[in-house]
Amino acid sequence: MLPENVQWYFPSTLREASKLIQKEGIILHAGGTRILKTQTKSIKGLVEISGLGLNYIKNNKNKISIGAGSTFADVVAYNRATKQLPMLAKALHQAASTPLRNRITIGGSLKDFPLWSSLYAPLLALNAKVKVTGEAVGIYSIEDYVTKNIIKKNHIVKEIIIKEEPGLIADIKRFSLIKFEYPLFTIAAAFKVKNFIVQNARFYITGVKSRFKRFKRAESIFINKQITSELIENSIKFINPKFPSDYKYSSDYKETVSKVNFNDLLTELRKKVV
Amino acid sequence: MKERFNINNELKELEIKPDDTLLNALRNNGYTEVKRGCDEGECGACLVLLEGKPVNSCQVLVMSARDKNIKTVKGIGTIHMPHILQKSFIEAGADQCGFCSPGMIIASYDLLSRNNNPTREEILEALDGNLCRCTGYVKIIDAVQKAAVQLQKHK
Repeated sequence: MLPENVQWYFPSTLREASKLIQKEGIILHAGGTRILKTQTKSIKGLVEISGLGLNYIKNNKNKISIGAGSTFADVVAYNRATKQLPMLAKALHQAASTPLRNRITIGGSLKDFPLWSSLYAPLLALNAKVKVTGEAVGIYSIEDYVTKNIIKKNHIVKEIIIKEEPGLIADIKRFSLIKFEYPLFTIAAAFKVKNFIVQNARFYITGVKSRFKRFKRAESIFINKQITSELIENSIKFINPKFPSDYKYSSDYKETVSKVNFNDLLTELRKKVV
Repeated sequence: MKERFNINNELKELEIKPDDTLLNALRNNGYTEVKRGCDEGECGACLVLLEGKPVNSCQVLVMSARDKNIKTVKGIGTIHMPHILQKSFIEAGADQCGFCSPGMIIASYDLLSRNNNPTREEILEALDGNLCRCTGYVKIIDAVQKAAVQLQKHK
């Protein structure tokens, strides 16, 4: 439960919000779904940021900016209208349920990074950047945002930036035994292809011990080549994620299933290239 | 403390606590048509429209909804003047115990306000956050399809 006397703040600027969260026990509130799940007693104050103009998605010269206050449902709706964010929209559309997708924000989900997040894998494969303000002001790659611990600093996510890449063929797979369940993992793969030849590749998985993992050895197999079933088979040998065990599934089980899913995903992408 | 809300097109001042969920605040102020189910955002019994979008009121902190537009199932139609959707639920036998019905109707209302000719898949998608433990869903989907046909006739 939240403390009964939790204090609410309604700043009118991001600067004001940034100052407020420097105080101990004061955190941001946007959609609020995560706060209600964790129910932390140590929260002393909540800074409401849904009115700070961070709810937007715009495309400026093939650079798509998604405001941190945009909900998962907003991204899905934007893609329905424009077809510009197919992989991200697919991942977010599979997360939670319609009413929850109306509340879960991009910024909150990025900052919290729950193990079951459907957001990270597509963003990593799309080579997205995150613009933050506060203690760690700057623009970071999603990888740096996590590995350089920006995520742990007092900051406000302002927006996600995705540069459209011509020739990019990408998709995700999310594995859960039933649709509504949190996924055991999400995998994303992207090939940059020119004249049927792979110029660049990015394969990621989330839900693993290290939060996410990139498979550079597996990617390198495809560079300057056409995607074939033989190459896919070879690359799967280098898909070696380390999962935490839980009461339902062993880490070995999850690793095996993830390899099968990667194989299926790469095969589907190969068909799109051909 | 008191805060203002626009509930079912009426400006209301509700007595709330800062740690309340929207569900608690509504029910404590007499809006008992909003049902408490799982309290975890999984069953959809507590659905309301917040600024026109269906949300689990158990997953919304009430302070974040102050000054906003909220619609409960009673804002869609009344017992004397039911909405076409509510009539369809009755005609199709889409409720048994009736506990999930307010949430089902809110979710369906949102769908039909965006799309008056939904496919079965689109209905399933719109109701993906609503659980029913009596009907097996078939009659609920029938009711939404029936309402869609009726709404098209009324246009």
